Amino acid sequence: MSARRQPSEERLLAFAAGTLSAPESVVVATHLALRPETRAWTELGQAVGGAVLDDLEPSVLGLEALDNTLARLDTPPPAATPAPRNADPSLPAPLRGFELGPWRWMGPGVHVRNVLGPRDGACRVILLRIAPGQSTPLHTHGGVELTCVIEGAYATEEGVFEPGDFEEADPNITHQPRVVSDKPCLCVAALDGEIVLPGRLGKLLAPFVRL
Amino acid sequence: MSLTPAACNALLLRVGRERDRDAFAALFQHYAPRVKTLLIKSGSAPSAAEELAQEAMLAVWRKAHLYDPARASAAAWIFTIARNLRIDSLRRGSSTLYEMDLAFGAEDPPQPDAILSGAQDAQTVRAAMRTLNPEQALAIEMAFFQEQTHSQISETLGVPLGTIKARIRFGMMKLRAIIEREMGGAA
Repeated sequence: MSARRQPSEERLLAFAAGTLSAPESVVVATHLALRPETRAWTELGQAVGGAVLDDLEPSVLGLEALDNTLARLDTPPPAATPAPRNADPSLPAPLRGFELGPWRWMGPGVHVRNVLGPRDGACRVILLRIAPGQSTPLHTHGGVELTCVIEGAYATEEGVFEPGDFEEADPNITHQPRVVSDKPCLCVAALDGEIVLPGRLGKLLAPFVRL
Repeated sequence: MSLTPAACNALLLRVGRERDRDAFAALFQHYAPRVKTLLIKSGSAPSAAEELAQEAMLAVWRKAHLYDPARASAAAWIFTIARNLRIDSLRRGSSTLYEMDLAFGAEDPPQPDAILSGAQDAQTVRAAMRTLNPEQALAIEMAFFQEQTHSQISETLGVPLGTIKARIRFGMMKLRAIIEREMGGAA
């Protein structure tokens, strides 16, 4: 079976509904920015949201709610769109709103930096940069791992993953993606659980490398 | 009071084009109480929900010029405004994730399988929802309430997680097929 290259319908619905966790939303939004065709699903979710809203039982509002709102119509809106919080123009728009931690070395040809802000328990967002020809020495234990390629490409047994491709890791399978592009492969990922560097190198580095 | 979907679209268009305050007041009376219910069902305290519902309607007034009735129903558009405000109040900095959503794809090149010319018609979406089996419809509706994971939905309903996901997936695929067929019939 070929790998899915877009988020599942249930994940896209949760994103559209606004109920997907913050870290997962970041990876899904990155995919949507790079693959506008997937927005057909989130826009369907928004349309369903409209139908759900229309069918809700109306709540009682305070007597003055309408007048108070009408009185505010001419007040100027608060400051316009917030400035990007990081200065990396190579990142897709959804990632520009977050501060980034420093790049850290995680093994030969592998660098990682944190996307600061979106967290849900142990789940958080990282950017991963892997040199051409290198394998990721990373895999997670437990929890879902969502990945979206931003630049470059990697290959697994499932095929080649290119910019915009979205991968949902199966916790039962540990694969070793290898970068197949000429330039480094940049990915955004939502990780839950601990990251483990497998093999002897991992054991050597474990005391020094923490995410 | 209740308004037809077509009437809501027309009111929102008047707010955007003519800054019509009467049209806004009519939209407010229809949607503010429903947005408040949505927010309460999403976990807000009633007082916070009332305040956020008014903020959402104020945002509707300020952004109505972006509304394009060819791309979305007023209901979907106002839902999206309320959703964005709620997320922004919960997690600062996340607004960039949703910036593009209010345009409903207006900035993209047209997609061969764009479904919105069907989904703009709120009536079509509601009719399509009614063709789902009740379990699929319930799983989809529950995805809108509370910041609950699919595993929490699975616990609440007492069915396996995989079943919830499958109900949502097949329900969404069926909705999309129906709406696309409607659109094809209209074209």
